[in-house]
Amino acid sequence: MASVFSFQAVSDGIVMNFRDGSTFGNIKKAVSFHAAEASDFFTGVNLYLNLSGLELAFEQLEELMEIVKNYNQVNKIYFTARKIKKDEKKDEQYSDAVIINRTLRSGQRVKHQANVVIVGDVNPGAEVIAGGDVIVFGRLRGVVHAGAGGSKNSQVAALKLNPTQLRIASLIARSPDDSDSSKLQAERAFIENDQIMVEKI
Amino acid sequence: MAGKTIVITSGKGGVGKTTSSANIGTALAMQGNKVCLIDADIGLRNLDVVMGLENRIVYDIVDVVENNCRLEQAMIRDKRYDGLYLLPAAQTRDKTSVTPFQMKELIEKLKEDMDFIVVDSPAGIEQGFKNAISGADRAIIVTTPEISAVRDADRIIGLLEAEGLRDPEVIINRIRADMVDRGDMMGIEDMIEILAIDLIGIVPEDEGIVVSTNKGEPIALNDNAKAGQAYRNIARRIMGEDLPMMKLEKDSFITRFKKLVGLS
Repeated sequence: MASVFSFQAVSDGIVMNFRDGSTFGNIKKAVSFHAAEASDFFTGVNLYLNLSGLELAFEQLEELMEIVKNYNQVNKIYFTARKIKKDEKKDEQYSDAVIINRTLRSGQRVKHQANVVIVGDVNPGAEVIAGGDVIVFGRLRGVVHAGAGGSKNSQVAALKLNPTQLRIASLIARSPDDSDSSKLQAERAFIENDQIMVEKI
Repeated sequence: MAGKTIVITSGKGGVGKTTSSANIGTALAMQGNKVCLIDADIGLRNLDVVMGLENRIVYDIVDVVENNCRLEQAMIRDKRYDGLYLLPAAQTRDKTSVTPFQMKELIEKLKEDMDFIVVDSPAGIEQGFKNAISGADRAIIVTTPEISAVRDADRIIGLLEAEGLRDPEVIINRIRADMVDRGDMMGIEDMIEILAIDLIGIVPEDEGIVVSTNKGEPIALNDNAKAGQAYRNIARRIMGEDLPMMKLEKDSFITRFKKLVGLS
């Protein structure tokens, strides 16, 4: 039976991937069997039914819905027809950016799940937290956290990279104590070999 | 008359808000303006002392908002200039005795026959600060060449912007040219680079300030004091004049020599 579908965990639930070429009859049989067996294992999670290209009639969907409801206390049930891969889903979240057209001053904070672009300075005492990259067209002197959701591919770039503290994913670095603050020199910080590296652009 | 309200603020304490308020108010009055100084530091009033008017207080700002007296009764006329008034803070109450709305109403009323209203803000960013900036048309931030003061000034600029007070200006107070030259003190350019707002004046460190504060005579009245000149220039800039910034002079050889032999 297990050959009809496989399970995959995502951040907010479980995806049920149906194999290509499964017939509706097979799916129905497999799901009803599994639902009966699973008891309250799915309590509180979101269930994604990934039909992967399978075309079902409305009545068939309704029928499937009835069966899936037998999973005890599932939070929400979604139907989807795309291949969801854990990493792919994250990349998709990062694909948009928020643009801030002013200087961030002490006590001001920007938090966004995707990329953040700041046209202006980030002053000491200000914070930028982004799920993706942080780009500053100005002097970066506050605290910055790129890849706050854990993405180690994120980077921080600024015309003057002199942050109070720079975090990427779960790594933390700070500017050297003697860094001079006058000259502009575009730099970017990224993770390489589990270390934060800075290079001139 | 439709007067302008200027709030003098800083975030950090001890950078010279009250001294600046007293001197800017006095210097504006010297230029023939009708000026009212408001001390918004309820519970820790000082402006009356710096102005030398402490012993004339009968009613204060809290009495006015609580309708214990009329506004005119609480306004103290300055002993030197007819056009200069002080609305003192209450000393026995706290910041919550006045609301931003009441403050705004009060200022609207004062605007009718004043050219300038100068509000001396308390330190901090809580209710007292919120009271002080409500009703202000313009903000002047006082800072000193210390990282902590500049940091607080930056925070205040952000808060002012959030309250709709755009384009505040900054006074850099207590700067010492000799220390800047040695690299021991932040320079003006460094500070303006961080704050990114317009400079309205530079006030050099001056021992005379301590003396004038203790005597209750604003240094703006003293023609010979550098700091007094600086405040008079700030007042003229507030009135719209375009004056060049004061050159920070190091002691010349002669003055150093005079100091050495105790002549100056």
